[in-house]
Amino acid sequence: MNDEQKIEKLKTFAPPEAIAHPAPRRIFVTVEPSGLVALTARMKAELDTWFLSTISGVDKGEFFELLYHYGDTSGSVHVRTKIPRSDPRLPSICGVIPGAVLYEREIQEMFGITVENIPDPRPLLTSDDWPAGNFPLRKDWKFDRPAEVIPGGKK
Amino acid sequence: MKFNIPIGPQHPALKEPISIRLSVEGEVIRDADLRLGYNHRGVEKLAEEKSYIQNIYLCERICGICSHSHSTCFVQGAEKLLEIEPPRRGVYIRYLVSELERVHSHLLWLGVAGHEAGFDTFFMYTWRDREIVMDLLEMISGNRVHYAINTLGGVRRDIDGPLKQKIFDGLAVLRERSEYYLKIGSSEPTFVARLAGVGRLTKQQAMDLCATGPTAKASGVALDVRKDDPHDFYDEVEFDVVTSDLCDVLGRTVVRIKEVLESYKICEQILRKLPDGPIAVKSPRRAKPGEVVSRYEAPRGENIHYIIANGTEKPERLKVRAPTLGNYAATIEMLRHGFIADVPLIFAAIDPCICCAERSVEMVDARSGEERTYRFSDLRRMANERARTLPLQRNVAWPL
Amino acid sequence: MAALNTILYLVVFPGILFLFVYSTFVEWFDRKVFARLQNRMGPTHTGKSGLLQPIADFVKLMAKEDIVPDKADKKMFSALPVVGLAIVITAGLLLPVWNIDLASPGPISFPGDLIVILYLLSLPTLVLFLAGWSSTNAFSIIGGTRVLTMLFGYEVPLFLAVLSPAVLAGSWRMAEIAAFYRAHPLLLLVNLIGFVVALISVQAKLERTPFDIPHAETEIVGGTFTEYSGKKLAFFRLMADIEMVVAAGLLATVFMGGFGGGILSAFVQFIAKTLLVVFLLTVLRAVTGRIRVDQVVSFAWKWLAPLAVLQLLIVILIKGFVL
Repeated sequence: MNDEQKIEKLKTFAPPEAIAHPAPRRIFVTVEPSGLVALTARMKAELDTWFLSTISGVDKGEFFELLYHYGDTSGSVHVRTKIPRSDPRLPSICGVIPGAVLYEREIQEMFGITVENIPDPRPLLTSDDWPAGNFPLRKDWKFDRPAEVIPGGKK
Repeated sequence: MKFNIPIGPQHPALKEPISIRLSVEGEVIRDADLRLGYNHRGVEKLAEEKSYIQNIYLCERICGICSHSHSTCFVQGAEKLLEIEPPRRGVYIRYLVSELERVHSHLLWLGVAGHEAGFDTFFMYTWRDREIVMDLLEMISGNRVHYAINTLGGVRRDIDGPLKQKIFDGLAVLRERSEYYLKIGSSEPTFVARLAGVGRLTKQQAMDLCATGPTAKASGVALDVRKDDPHDFYDEVEFDVVTSDLCDVLGRTVVRIKEVLESYKICEQILRKLPDGPIAVKSPRRAKPGEVVSRYEAPRGENIHYIIANGTEKPERLKVRAPTLGNYAATIEMLRHGFIADVPLIFAAIDPCICCAERSVEMVDARSGEERTYRFSDLRRMANERARTLPLQRNVAWPL
Repeated sequence: MAALNTILYLVVFPGILFLFVYSTFVEWFDRKVFARLQNRMGPTHTGKSGLLQPIADFVKLMAKEDIVPDKADKKMFSALPVVGLAIVITAGLLLPVWNIDLASPGPISFPGDLIVILYLLSLPTLVLFLAGWSSTNAFSIIGGTRVLTMLFGYEVPLFLAVLSPAVLAGSWRMAEIAAFYRAHPLLLLVNLIGFVVALISVQAKLERTPFDIPHAETEIVGGTFTEYSGKKLAFFRLMADIEMVVAAGLLATVFMGGFGGGILSAFVQFIAKTLLVVFLLTVLRAVTGRIRVDQVVSFAWKWLAPLAVLQLLIVILIKGFVL
């Protein structure tokens, strides 16, 4: 399936203005968070995008932009969605793509986005005693080193 | 009787820290869980504070085995953002190093698989032959591990006639040795008894769990970025995507050895077709605002970098997904219902590169046992402070 | 004179001193051959060609800190290495290392000593199991259970294989068996199957690749030895080395016609024949990978035990119809 065929198929279930084709073998689709799961399921059925490479998130100030990267045998399709910073909630796509759980866990702890219906909500990379409310990949995150405590040593 | 067995963070079978928690009954594993984060270094956050040229060297340090794959993946994308076209000779040398790196990584894996299976002789033999390819890489780039051959707009070192001949000679030896390993790996009875049927991952499971690289290829999923998304090079050389229907560790071994044989083919084609001309062009420092997705077939599977430029000399965001992270979900599935004896093999069979998979600096304070997150600037400040406050030593004898 | 002889026998040859020195030499030989088969150098530094390396390792371990885990059964944990060492040295004393006068054999050769030495060689396995169990470490316990599981696999084939030459010789006494085969060397060829079975079973008993399952480092860290350190570990390692010498000596006695002649000639034969057995064991170690514990048991009962029974059948037929 080449790029044109993929875009033709995409147009059957996504509005044409949501589809961008900036470079060969790269197709970007924009979707509202509410329509994400439906679009993912549709794409998996019709475009054969079962391989989720990763989910990347960017802090753009007022909103977070999330990009789902799907690879297939003729390039890649990227689904873009935006969620407001004031209400960071995202539906989980694990029902369609079970392998997405690790990436959703990473998104959750790095950006403080709540992924709804995620099968395994534990943090992925941060330590067990990671202070709540610290989300490292938000642009405004700064870290202050706590005072050093030596057990049994001088206070 | 049910036991909980911790494999890691420190364990002889693991070369890097990760924690696998197993609950076992006798010798059979009932449940498995992975705990990551022992090696998380905040590369993605750090990359936002570095210029494009600095980021090449940062990306190179994401991994110690497939260092070239991360730097190439970054450079591929950054060149698109900076709107420069590297000369053909530069591109050819870049992917020559890529393929040689794949050979070295797979030979390393073969040795590790032999060691995990208690077959140390195999380990010694493969690592001896790996020296050949390591020497070739050193001759080309000047380094054995971090080749530092990529730069924005091409590569940094050229290949001359005698070196070309040396690479041909080295490849001839390696090809012969690899064919011998293919024979050993698929016929030595104790080795095959340990690998066959272990860590089963069906094609459907591999697709559902988004497995990548040799793990997916051994389950019959023919997904290879070099074929699917050839960037601007891989459509100029001929090679096959190796797959296997065995769906177990033996399949993954066979896939890797055959992939090495394909890599020799690619290397020879590159050396024969090597065009003349310059090896690099000058690159601008700033990129126009934009975004790019760069994909690359690393030895362990698909490597993907997503870069956003904001018009300055530093990227707005760099997202790195190393292949190992993509394979963890499949690993948990493979571990279930296996034997304890198979844990190291199953885990090694995805060729885990934990420092690749975990990229923000987190450290455990050994004295208080607390885990803390330090940023690079803090570490540098601490190091400087330490150097300043150290008592000055006079009349120190030079150790040599 | 008899008392002096007995003391020399116990302390010097083939007693503690000889067994210690020779077992370190055998370890060196094993390591060197193994390394050369893998394109490595093996030990080179300590002594000429690294000959003293095993002794240096032993001394180093003796000097290391000795840690007993809090939750371990301390008495048992500490006693086991010594008990294990004593057992294998006792087994070593039973080897007929020279041409014993069959009419007045002395205390060390008696009818049925073959059974005793086999029994004494089974005990270290039990010691290793108890060592793993008393450590109360998850890895050690798994190692201990693996030791026992393997025991059920290789022990029966080993007994059957070693007993068939005895049946042919018509004696349960090692010195007599050896003398019988020295008188009829061609009959040694009859026992070839038994020799192969015994060799593989001994490899399993010594827990060497492909049977190094109880202490497979990539799976269960140190297995039975995970919690052992310092002197106790040194004793266990010495125990394993002496066990290898005794097992090689047993195979040489039963399958290779023992060690005839005077003391010097017997000594040379002992060294040559045990080194040959050790060499075979080392090659087996170099060319195989580790298998799983369930594969050991099924391999032992599907192949080793039937082959051992076949050997016994051949021996009985030959004894009945030919001799």
